[in-house]
Amino acid sequence: MRKKALVVDDNGNNLMLEKDLLEVAGFEVFEAENSSSGIAIARKEKPDIIIMDVRLPDMRGTEAARILRQDKETSDIPIVFVTASVMSEGREEINAIANTGFIGKPINTRTFAKEISLFIK
Amino acid sequence: MSGKRTVTRSQEYSESIINTVREPLIILDQDLRVVTVSRSFYEVFKVKPEETVGQLIYDLGNKQWDIPKLRELLETILPQKATFDNYEVEHDFTTIGKRIMLLNARQIQRGLGKERIILLAIEDITERKEIEAGLEKTRKELVVIKKSADEASEFAESVINTVREPLISLDQDLRVVTVSRSFYEVFKVKPEETVGQLIYDLGNKQWNIPKLRELLETILPQKTTFDNYEVEHDFTAIGRRIMLLNARQIQRGLGKERIILLAIEDITERRKIENGLEKAHEELKDLAIELERVAQAKSKFLANMSHELRTPLNSINGFSEVLYDETFGPLNEKQKKYVNNVLTSGKYLLLLINQILDMAKVEAGKMKLALSTLPMKIILSEISLLVADMVSKKKLQMVLEIADDLPNIEADELNVKEIIYNLLSNAVKFTPEGGKIGMRARSTNEEIEVVVWDNGIGIASENMEKIFEGFFRVDTPYSRVTEGTGLGLPLSKKLVELHGGKLSVESEGLNKGTSVRFTLPMISKRVV
Repeated sequence: MRKKALVVDDNGNNLMLEKDLLEVAGFEVFEAENSSSGIAIARKEKPDIIIMDVRLPDMRGTEAARILRQDKETSDIPIVFVTASVMSEGREEINAIANTGFIGKPINTRTFAKEISLFIK
Repeated sequence: MSGKRTVTRSQEYSESIINTVREPLIILDQDLRVVTVSRSFYEVFKVKPEETVGQLIYDLGNKQWDIPKLRELLETILPQKATFDNYEVEHDFTTIGKRIMLLNARQIQRGLGKERIILLAIEDITERKEIEAGLEKTRKELVVIKKSADEASEFAESVINTVREPLISLDQDLRVVTVSRSFYEVFKVKPEETVGQLIYDLGNKQWNIPKLRELLETILPQKTTFDNYEVEHDFTAIGRRIMLLNARQIQRGLGKERIILLAIEDITERRKIENGLEKAHEELKDLAIELERVAQAKSKFLANMSHELRTPLNSINGFSEVLYDETFGPLNEKQKKYVNNVLTSGKYLLLLINQILDMAKVEAGKMKLALSTLPMKIILSEISLLVADMVSKKKLQMVLEIADDLPNIEADELNVKEIIYNLLSNAVKFTPEGGKIGMRARSTNEEIEVVVWDNGIGIASENMEKIFEGFFRVDTPYSRVTEGTGLGLPLSKKLVELHGGKLSVESEGLNKGTSVRFTLPMISKRVV
């Protein structure tokens, strides 16, 4: 059975790139361009992993992650933040949430899917 | 009977006299025992009635009165003369201290018998003596003063003319008596229009200042002296000045004539400096706040810039990499070459962004070191492997001389790797094909020292300073060096210094090779 991945990114190009890389690696990929639709899809599809941008139009990715953590249905899904905010100042808000990972942009397309797979138990 | 009554009455009368006189008075019988004592005697000599009457005079007040001169008066002189005036006795009494007394004595036959009584009046002239002595001294001093009065006034005038501070002396009618030279200079008035004038009329009534009038006419007559009275006034000749006035009112000679000494200190400049300082202080505070705000804004700007540049780069590098890898189908040769150009440029741009941000972070003091213990021998060989590809492509020879006992150091791993990589890749870039590059590492005292050298194009002496400025790249006839950012060396230097080490570059000139030497302390000196 194919693993399900949810990618949340407001930049269409990046969303497409990550989706294509994951599909090539054998994932079934769901897309969302903001936090609230990301949360809705996560509740509906219960993906094996969520790839989440931090700067999103409606709320920060970290805020969406906190909401997902409070919901029994989604609280155990690992979340990997893939963000262009690589400066160390923003790292604490990610580390504060359990079961999360961090990949800085630009991503390495040759290793991206493998890195993501490592976060799935 | 009536005679006795008369006697009694006259005795009462004399006793009331005794008690009325202010002068201490004592009456003794012929054996020199006290018969009566005036009230004032008790008061002046601090003795009590019960320990006085009936006592031998010498025994009074714990034998205080056993005075040789008194004995002489009572036992030797009085029996012969029956009366004695103004006999001066000085004595140190235990209760009242040293006193000078004037003794007057009368020996009186009492009744018809041979019984005698002695009246002894004691006048305490200690104070009077002191006053007399003081008067005498004053009289002598006055003579001296009179003699030196002329000298003194001459002296005073020379003092007035010597002091830098404008000084003016006025008579009791506030007319100018003397003026110091500096007064003329400072206030731009002439002697001929000054002496003898009313102070308020000086220099075309410039001195008619309400606060000065208050000082001279109201305050000074009451206080005779006045210090640091601040007056601000707009003078026609010299403009607005702030003055500090000090005044003394002096009695001249013995008469009632007064003179007033008025010292005028111009504190306009001092005040200006004080105000300037205060203002500068305020401005400095504001500037510090502004700087802090700017630093915050700058660091927020950097974070934003980093984010905004990386987002499109993610697409540029990501898609070109996927294309180049032919994940979704094969490319022809030209397409593959072009897409590789896009990828190479994108990676260069990323390197540039990273280095600019690091540079900005170091300069803003925001670069935080993640210290850990680094196995330097391993790290140096690791990084040399990273450039091995470039080295062999250019057919260079790489010589590694890493001391066997090279110790571990405490430093930020990413920073150290970046420094070494930057220096090694510079050596590769700036050395023509077939040349030699190398790295030496050893420990000295509490540091390790690493030298990265090459026998390449070197650095002309006029460029020695510029290589640390950033974005400076040496034009080389051997290769078009475009892959560098020109930030590697300046950033490496800053990172070394951040660790408490030193980085220096040596080159004997163009085409004479370059060697970059840097040190890192084994134990980090910085607490981060």
